[in-house]
Amino acid sequence: MRRIFDTGNAAICEGAIFAGCRVFAGYPITPATEIAENMARRLPEEDGFYLQAEDEIAALHICNGASLGGLKAMTATSGPGYILFADAFGWALSSEIPVVIINSQRVGPVSGITGAPGQGEFYLSRYLAHGGNYETIVLAPASVQEAFLLTVRAFYLSERFRTPVTILADQMVTDGWETLELPESEEEAQNMDLQRWERKVHPGPDFYPPTDAIDIPPVVLGHNTGGACSDWTPTLQGHDTEDFELHHKHAWRLIHKILSHRELIDDAEEWEVEDAEIILVAYGTPSRVVKSAVQEGRAKGLRIGGIRLISLWPFQDRLFKRKASYLVVELNWDGQLVKEVQRAARGSAVHFWGRCGELPSVKELLATAEQIKEGKTLSRDAWKTERW
Amino acid sequence: MTELTTKYLRDEKARGTSCPGCGLRPAHLKVLEAIDRLGISQADIVWGTGIGCSGRQTYATWKGDTFAGTHGRVYAMATGLRLALAPEKKIILTVGDGDAYTIGLQHLLNCARRNVGVTVVVLDNLGYQSTGGQYSITTPEGSVTDSSPRGTWEQNWAGSGLDILNVIKEAGATFIARHTVLQGDAVVSSLEKAIQNPGFSLVQIVYPCVSHFGVQALGTRNIPQVYTWFESYPLATGILQDSIGSRPEFSEAFRQQNKKVKKGNQDV
Repeated sequence: MRRIFDTGNAAICEGAIFAGCRVFAGYPITPATEIAENMARRLPEEDGFYLQAEDEIAALHICNGASLGGLKAMTATSGPGYILFADAFGWALSSEIPVVIINSQRVGPVSGITGAPGQGEFYLSRYLAHGGNYETIVLAPASVQEAFLLTVRAFYLSERFRTPVTILADQMVTDGWETLELPESEEEAQNMDLQRWERKVHPGPDFYPPTDAIDIPPVVLGHNTGGACSDWTPTLQGHDTEDFELHHKHAWRLIHKILSHRELIDDAEEWEVEDAEIILVAYGTPSRVVKSAVQEGRAKGLRIGGIRLISLWPFQDRLFKRKASYLVVELNWDGQLVKEVQRAARGSAVHFWGRCGELPSVKELLATAEQIKEGKTLSRDAWKTERW
Repeated sequence: MTELTTKYLRDEKARGTSCPGCGLRPAHLKVLEAIDRLGISQADIVWGTGIGCSGRQTYATWKGDTFAGTHGRVYAMATGLRLALAPEKKIILTVGDGDAYTIGLQHLLNCARRNVGVTVVVLDNLGYQSTGGQYSITTPEGSVTDSSPRGTWEQNWAGSGLDILNVIKEAGATFIARHTVLQGDAVVSSLEKAIQNPGFSLVQIVYPCVSHFGVQALGTRNIPQVYTWFESYPLATGILQDSIGSRPEFSEAFRQQNKKVKKGNQDV
């Protein structure tokens, strides 16, 4: 095992290269710039290609093109670049071409604040493509080590499901420095539960079968399979069609290939939830404060628990069926994850603790938990409304 | 149906879907003729398309491997695809004037700058015709269209002494030609040169849209009348740039560059 001290940005690059990524196209943006810089240094050492694209629109389209030719590809950005991925994300999603997208969330809306963590793209990561009729896979690391592990998993899932997979990180995960363990042998990789999936070439002619099965290779061009691939609604052969029934088959496949194989995607960590009256919920960096709050709260005799979402989409409703008071902790003021928890935890009280740019403290979270326990209304100052 | 279409186009798409009098079909066939003359096999061509009349109607016509990109972004996709394909594989893109020169110009210019091994065939029908006939950057100045009911007045790249192909030339394209669809053998000959270029080529083939441009700008749906007007429409045609081989092709240069990198043993 190679043990180094590095950033989440570096961990993502090592994960990508371990998974077989050979093309990175990107446009520098805080706080994801170091991913591009690391890939510029690392990829040529692996016979890979680093390209500085003319913009983020081109960045993901270049990755899509490379993947369409059979090379695994990744791009990375933050909010202002992420919104420019919409076009190419939709193309990869509908054409069913694997690609990995990293979004290190900063403070929004729009350019906002560059070098601080935010969590404003929870819903955007689910609905980045226009037109609906799809499900998508989004993973959220909370540490440098996990940034490595989930990047490897993102490539694995993107191949098996032949779809873009998004890593929704935040500035603290990608910029933060921590110990990172990298496998140096196949045995070590297996011990770390790292899985890889080689690119296979669909032989044709039915590139878009009406099934929810996975492990169907994508269209790969250059092998004279008659591969046909576009963002038009496809026939079985990939020709463009305006037929509603064929469209239904296409949408059905896009939705149910994901929903029928959730066991490969769903992931979460739970702390002390069994008898908890109050359950804190978070993903990414704030979940680390939540974990400490649960430990300290328990030490103080509070019946408190915590849930950390590792996969965000498709949303794991099953985690919120316990009758309890949920307190959702997010790095935004508008409350995004909390809305989904409210929907999933019907019948339970769901509260929101939001802030942007900096983390909550354990003390603040425990004080809020006490307030909930005592049945007090949650609000600090008028402009810091957190009533839900 | 001709020998060419039977040989190269998918059965269900071989007939074509363009309107009566449209130049899209003959322009499309000229690309097939160039491929045929060069004797390149189906396996060695990947055919991409954009959006609009030119893209939609040529998508998945090619019997071999084919793809359609998002509007204006197919040049960026081809840049990535080029890295993955073997050097002997050719990429041909059939796109429209809107796809190449307006919505996709940023990516087209960077594709030319990098000298990506791709042949861009701009099937220029003098406007946005698949949406019913609105003016584009190549619509003759002053034309009445559905979005210019009093005639276009902005300067564009088909008059006013401005030529989009000069921009593409300065961006670094190593082969550029413009023809009208009526120029027969010269079109095929330019396409042959373009496809043989290991680097970035662009061939613009201009033809009038009868159904929309004819009706709106010329006031007629009569095909001979539209083409009589077209024959007198002033266009600088011929080979405008031929510097094939003057600059290294993108993916080849990339591989050469990577060879200089000392391979570490940093992977597991």
